Amino acid sequence: MKVNEQLEFNDWCPGCGDFGILRSVESALSELKLDYTDAVLVSGIGCSGKLPHFVSGPIAGVHTLHGRALAFAVGIKLSNPKLNVVVDAGDGDTFGIGVGHFVSAGRRNVNMTIIVHNNGVYGLTKGQASPTLKRGEKTKSLPEPNINDPINPIALAISSGYTFVARTFAYNIPLSKEIIKQAIQHKGMAFVDMLQPCPTYNDINTNEWYKERVYEAKVDYEVKDQSEVIEKMNQAIKLAYPSDEKIPLGIFYKNSLTPSYGERISANISNYEDYYPSMQEIEESSAPITSIDSMVQARRVV
Amino acid sequence: MRLSWMIGGAQGLGVDTSANVFGAAVARAGYYIFGSREYFSNIKGRHSYFNVLLSDSPQHSVNSTVNILATFDAETIFQHYDEVTDFLIYDKGVEAMTIDKVRSLEPEIAVKAAAILEKAGLGISIADVVKFLEKKGVKCIGIDYGPLMKDIINQLKMDPFVAEKARNMLCAGASFGLLGLNQKYLLDAIKSTFKNAKIAELDTLAAQAGFKSVQNSYNLKELPIKGHRVQLDGNTISAIGKLYGGLSFQSYYPITPASDESTYIEANQVLKTSDGKTRGVVVLQTEDELAAINAANGAALTGARAATATSGPGFSLMNEGISWAGMNEVPVLVTYYMRGSPATGLPTRSGQSDLLLAVNVGHGEFTRIVIASGDHAEVFSDAVMALNLAELCQTPAIHIIEKTLANAYAVMDEETITSGKFKIERGKLISPGDPENYKRFELTEDGISPRAPLGHAHMYYTGDEHNEYGHITEESENRIAMYEKRIKKGQLVFKVLQENQMANSVGSSDTVILTWGSPKGAILDAMEELKAKGISVQMVQVRLFSPYPSELMAKLLSGKKRIIAMENNYTAQGARLLTENTGIKPTHYVLKWNGRPMTKDEVVSSISDVVKNDTKKVVLNEGK
Ligand SMILES: Cc1ncc(C[n+]2csc(CCOP(=O)(O)OP(=O)(O)O)c2C)c(N)n1
Ligand code: SF4
Ligand SMILES: [Mg+2]
Repeated sequence: MKVNEQLEFNDWCPGCGDFGILRSVESALSELKLDYTDAVLVSGIGCSGKLPHFVSGPIAGVHTLHGRALAFAVGIKLSNPKLNVVVDAGDGDTFGIGVGHFVSAGRRNVNMTIIVHNNGVYGLTKGQASPTLKRGEKTKSLPEPNINDPINPIALAISSGYTFVARTFAYNIPLSKEIIKQAIQHKGMAFVDMLQPCPTYNDINTNEWYKERVYEAKVDYEVKDQSEVIEKMNQAIKLAYPSDEKIPLGIFYKNSLTPSYGERISANISNYEDYYPSMQEIEESSAPITSIDSMVQARRVV
Repeated sequence: MRLSWMIGGAQGLGVDTSANVFGAAVARAGYYIFGSREYFSNIKGRHSYFNVLLSDSPQHSVNSTVNILATFDAETIFQHYDEVTDFLIYDKGVEAMTIDKVRSLEPEIAVKAAAILEKAGLGISIADVVKFLEKKGVKCIGIDYGPLMKDIINQLKMDPFVAEKARNMLCAGASFGLLGLNQKYLLDAIKSTFKNAKIAELDTLAAQAGFKSVQNSYNLKELPIKGHRVQLDGNTISAIGKLYGGLSFQSYYPITPASDESTYIEANQVLKTSDGKTRGVVVLQTEDELAAINAANGAALTGARAATATSGPGFSLMNEGISWAGMNEVPVLVTYYMRGSPATGLPTRSGQSDLLLAVNVGHGEFTRIVIASGDHAEVFSDAVMALNLAELCQTPAIHIIEKTLANAYAVMDEETITSGKFKIERGKLISPGDPENYKRFELTEDGISPRAPLGHAHMYYTGDEHNEYGHITEESENRIAMYEKRIKKGQLVFKVLQENQMANSVGSSDTVILTWGSPKGAILDAMEELKAKGISVQMVQVRLFSPYPSELMAKLLSGKKRIIAMENNYTAQGARLLTENTGIKPTHYVLKWNGRPMTKDEVVSSISDVVKNDTKKVVLNEGK
């Protein structure tokens, strides 16, 4: 019998929202005609982190460390800016152990996308509270109700400088696919808050629970002039703290005016976009070709 | 010939600058220099000093004593007066100053300094120190800094606050005058150091005033110079080595004494290449060292030569990322600037206490390349070599440079680094013919798989155990094969390195000084003096610690009468690795862990003690 070692068995629990996310990511990548030559999926550790291994289609995957997916992604993107880098990470990954990287990525406005599988729990370690679980809630495997306040991912992203901020729901595949496509196409750091039911451990925020609450908010999210930045940021944050039980989905904020990190690097290295680190020749028949003359001569004493 | 000069003063008052200028001036007259910098973890105000060793041949260490102590404040005198042998240059204006008035002096030092004077029946002022020294035969040259500086300020009509800072140069000028070398060397060095014309003029006048205050006492002659010579510190030479070796991505989080390397790279990030292009090196200041190592990992996956630089605290944070790099066979370089640990320890002082950490960094069994440089020339060649080994073996490499070397500078022949003898070896870096069916972790004879960069093939990476495609699998036979793969690849190192790149042996004797890193310099500098005392020694300096060159070490050390482990730590970590890997044990120990470099004189006295008295363990403690 011949088996295909290039495919990995998908071992998510039946009914897991990650299946919907996988489908949306796959469709978005395929509709954008991206493959291993121009895209890479980078993931953290958790149920969510396995996503790249489950993607059908020729997309390269880098399954990293818990919390560090964004750090790897930044290194990949800055060394090869031609790659479309899409990060899939858990809410524990992103807002717990790796929250520093999340904030810093926003400040840099690196041209990439992060999709956070927001399921309120640490799935792969059997359901502990994640940083997005509300205080007082007791999901299935918590011995006592959660006594930490949740962070607000959208507000955090806005205040960190993300220039594309959106929220979608794992089982709304058409919307998710569309938002992921736009996030990838956005020139800057894009954040997608992906509401994801975890039927195994989160018995509060279930598929049904979400379906009763989510709706597509229609706001004028795009910053068209520098003078609108604060107003549009405030609008997004307001939308992220709704006064009712409803959960708005859609794009909250988009600002294409902020220079991306690549552009900022280009200001110092003029040929950066055309001759980036991963494509640089450094030797010829094993002889180093980098000239160090000016550096050495600057230190000449005689 | 070795002449030791030391200048000290409060941090921020130009101690480094004057030491650099003085060193450059002496070098222009044909002398070699080794300059060692000691400072506090402080920005302004605390005592720092620069010890410059000049000689007619290349030197790599400092002395325990100083021939000329050059000062322009009181604190430096109280700190170092007991080390001077020939001259003290001091400010007459501080003669009345007493030890108890210098508040920044560490209490332990103040008490000791006062005790020596009181024992000699003296008071605790600078005037008393001068008396004390003159009795010992040290010439004390009092200079009226105040009035001399006032004249210069009047002449230039400069803001006194700015101009007063030129005291350091007056002090350097006086020092230079003692040597007997032509003043023009000093003035030329000033001119090429200060681009600002006004400052250059100020410093020139100050240096001249100092020069005039003293008389030629050493009668040094100009020496012939062949080719060019450069003055380089460890941070800079590591940076240049990495750039020459093809580095194109460097991430870092600020930490002493590592970050100067990254700032230097950023300042020189646009490089010319001999194919007529320019290439830009991306330097990323990250949010922490977790990001630094993992961003470098990511960069390495794209085929770029990627590195980070850190010291103890940051290196500890990098454990997990290095482990991932081991699992995923990532050629990433970590330049590890070793300083006094544990914790933040002695942030600006040196030490060799983290060798075992480097060799064992990251959880799991996998090949780590660990090399340690013993002097500035090695820092350069090892930087290139480390990048090569990482890529040849596709595994993380750690290049250890102690603070002692990072912040010391050496004057060396330019051709040491520009001789063109260095190679870049990229190993099995490929662009695969069948990119859709590429196996990143293909099992091979030597454990190393053809490596395609991201973007060139369909591939997977994961920190979980994986199959040849990089997909997760926990199957046990695959586990065995992959586990072995990550270990056996290290054997390649022994094939590509020459013996002296693994362990450097100098001299031949049945008494071996076994060392690594910066003590090398003090040992080499001491060998002649030991010989004159009738003690012949061989130095074996280990440069490759992982994978460990067991065969070579057994060959070098078997049958030796004495093996004296000499290290800047408490437990002789380098020797412990020898024993672990070969069963060979040192017979004697010379150890030092006070955060200061080993001096040539300490090597002479401790080795004499071991050889003559069979002293099993000597603990050294010199240096302020
Ligand atoms: C440094 C480190 N600490 C802890 C873990 C254990 N761990 C694995 S997955 C996980 C939590 C995953 O939660 P989340 O990021 O929300 O992903 P999910 O499984 O919910 O998709 C933890 C804590 C780890 N892998 N690494
Ligand atoms: S534990 Fe939850 S998140 Fe993980 S696979 Fe199961 S359902 Fe999905
Ligand atoms: Mg989660």
